[in-house]
Amino acid sequence: MRQIWTIALREVFRVRRRFSGGVSTVLVLLLLAALAALGWALRDTMTLGYGLYRVGVMGDAAEIRDPRFVVMPVTTSNAQTLLAQRAVDVVIDGDAVSARADNKSQYALGALKRYLSKQTLVELAATQEMTRAFPLRVQLYDMDAPQRAPQAPFIPSLQTPPTPFGQVITAFLYIMPLTFISIFFTSSFMEEKIKRRLTVLLSAPITPFQIIMGKMLPYLCFAVVMTALIAWLTRAPIPLALAIYMPTALFIFAIYLMVPLFYRTFQDTTFISMFVTTMTAVYLVFPAMFTDMSELAYMSPLTLAVKMYRGEPFGLQEYLFPSAPMALLFGVTVFVASRLLHEEFLMTYHALTRKFADALYWIIDRRRPALSIFLMSFGSIPAVYLAQLIILALATNLSARALLLAALLAAATLEEVVKTMGIAVLIERGEAPSRRHIALWAFLSALGFLIGEKLLTLVSVSVVSQAFLAQALFSGGFLLVPLAAHFLFTAVVVLLYARFRPPYVVALAAGIILHTLYNALLLGGAL
Amino acid sequence: MKPFWALLKRELAAVARERTILIAVLIQLFIASFSSALLLGLLSLYDPESVSITGRVNLSVGLVGENTAALAEALQARGMQLVYFENLEEARAAYARNQIETVIAMPDASQELVTLRLYLPHLETRASVIQLALQEPLKQYENTLRLQNGVPVRYTDLKGQPPTTFEFLYSIILPVLLFFPAFVAGNLVADSLSEEFEMNTLETLLTTPLSWLAIVGAKIFSAIILALLQCALWLALLSFNRVELFNIPLLLAMGGLLAAMFGTLAAFVAVYFKNREQAQFVYALSLMGLLGASFLAGVSPLTTISRLAIGDVYTGVGDVLLFGGIGLALWLILAWMLRRRDAR
Repeated sequence: MRQIWTIALREVFRVRRRFSGGVSTVLVLLLLAALAALGWALRDTMTLGYGLYRVGVMGDAAEIRDPRFVVMPVTTSNAQTLLAQRAVDVVIDGDAVSARADNKSQYALGALKRYLSKQTLVELAATQEMTRAFPLRVQLYDMDAPQRAPQAPFIPSLQTPPTPFGQVITAFLYIMPLTFISIFFTSSFMEEKIKRRLTVLLSAPITPFQIIMGKMLPYLCFAVVMTALIAWLTRAPIPLALAIYMPTALFIFAIYLMVPLFYRTFQDTTFISMFVTTMTAVYLVFPAMFTDMSELAYMSPLTLAVKMYRGEPFGLQEYLFPSAPMALLFGVTVFVASRLLHEEFLMTYHALTRKFADALYWIIDRRRPALSIFLMSFGSIPAVYLAQLIILALATNLSARALLLAALLAAATLEEVVKTMGIAVLIERGEAPSRRHIALWAFLSALGFLIGEKLLTLVSVSVVSQAFLAQALFSGGFLLVPLAAHFLFTAVVVLLYARFRPPYVVALAAGIILHTLYNALLLGGAL
Repeated sequence: MKPFWALLKRELAAVARERTILIAVLIQLFIASFSSALLLGLLSLYDPESVSITGRVNLSVGLVGENTAALAEALQARGMQLVYFENLEEARAAYARNQIETVIAMPDASQELVTLRLYLPHLETRASVIQLALQEPLKQYENTLRLQNGVPVRYTDLKGQPPTTFEFLYSIILPVLLFFPAFVAGNLVADSLSEEFEMNTLETLLTTPLSWLAIVGAKIFSAIILALLQCALWLALLSFNRVELFNIPLLLAMGGLLAAMFGTLAAFVAVYFKNREQAQFVYALSLMGLLGASFLAGVSPLTTISRLAIGDVYTGVGDVLLFGGIGLALWLILAWMLRRRDAR
């Protein structure tokens, strides 16, 4: 623990040193202050379709105050000419509204319709008596308990659609500081690499694990403080917010930990970080948009946050569904990183795929290859699980049969890659003593994968009960059948690769085709 | 001039060799496709108007009580199937047999204030979908009741297309697709320059007949070329998808100008801070700040891009030249600064 503490302190000094000396600290603080002020000033102006439409008004037309519309006065003589020349998209003359037949004008009219119907309600509410202005109430009942009315009746025209948009944005606020912090976190490792200090560090009585945890500690503290602060500012319960966001923070740190290990040039870092940032942002935001609409929404912890802001309860299983894989992935990543944190790996400049294969080679404990292969399959389950959830989310969006097959194919590819990659690397490096060994490894890899898969299914299936695709992706009936299937596909790939030494992709393709056929067979009824 | 071209070629070759620019292209493709998937999903779930247009409402509603004619008309206009029942018990029995999905019960006497009872399934997700589908018909029924009460409502007969997709495409997707290559261009310049600083390769470069200005200029120029290529790709893909785009040459010019401005900005930051950490951080922050400020000042390049693309009559070469002028001014200041460095 003392070592971790020392490294953490060193990291704080490093960042302070980077930003110390003269103007730069002041400059950065000024910039941050200016940004905060801007954010405040802009909080209302940024809307979808800002400044897209031009509206001509004359006579007793309704007043239009919406950033989407640019309003200009027209006269009876020039209104139709301006409309025909596309200088305005819609003309409002008192109660009458005219538009052209083309797309732009029709969309402008559609937008205007929505805006005006909203405005009319505001006007009605201000000028008329309440029951005259809003003569309809709807009282909701539960079909199963028709005597109890759970809520007060609502007025249809005043009801806003239950889009969790605002809540998702608030929930995403927590993530923003974390992605920015990643610049410092990755740079910390990069600096050690450039200045060749890693060897010195590692020659001290200190393990790679301690170095990683030490460097992460200050940022983790920052994450905790920021989460608590944002929760406090947005009046959310702080302990609950921490419980929701800490697995996410760990997940983000895990991903950014990989960046400095794999980069070759500075541009690499930027691109990889950017890629990772978009992916995580999409992964977190996308499902949360469907809160209460689909159970799959629970794959993102932001959904839990949306629930938190709505004051709705959720159970332990809903909590574990997104959080457990993220926390597990963090554990696996830290383990992987601690095996890769040495100069021999960091200083090579191969292609990214080659570098990935190198990484696998270093992760495998060559004194105990069988155990390593088993654990590797087992340990990659959280990552596979997260990736498959993304595939699932995309596929349920597009219901066409061809896309379903594409999703199955993608899922099969992912699983086959994970199960065979370690064995393929060992074969490539000539560390496979015999074909019997390879077959054994294939079995262990399949077994590890299956055990991990079943453990996670325990959490997932109860949450995602309806999505039938989930059934096929995460569970496959009796245990022996999937084990045999997993073993068969893996063995085909690695034995093909060991016997004929084709490019790895070719061998992989064989396994993928078999796997997809198997999955399609399982889904037979559904397709 | 010759060493400048040599350096430019070196920069472009490096990007082509490492192929990481492909990641950037992938990101953009991913953003565009995922956000449209998101939009489609959201539209079908949260936007009742678009739902009816795509004809996805397929709901059978049980009606109980008298005076249902006006409500029935509004429901049928949305393509819903109606089943009439004498009382709630019959309706619930039909629900239990899966014949209907929801029940609406009218009050018996006609009053000024009508209170409907809406019976929804217990399952939360199903209930919210039904409620959403019923939203528009209920609003229409409300308007009918208003008219009966003698409350005039203006603009109830407007038609037009639901605009969300249109607004999303022209005010988010397209500007983002042109903005992102420029943002990446700035990143490239900042990375490339700070790498020369941190690896101490800049001194070597300066011993050749290259000036500071030529080195920085070549880096910015190569980033602009890459950005232009990406922008051209997106514009081509959008046109290929039959998205109507006006002023394509000007849109491309805007993409290039944005890249030039961001690249120059990144060069300023990188030359000043000399390390990647600070350069990237300050570059990202100041870019966010400048974009926000331009929005406030009413001259946002993103708005200009949207307006150019939809063929706004009042937006044209003049607006593009404005950004050209800003870019040129930035470059001149940078050039002046670097010349002074050369002199030293």
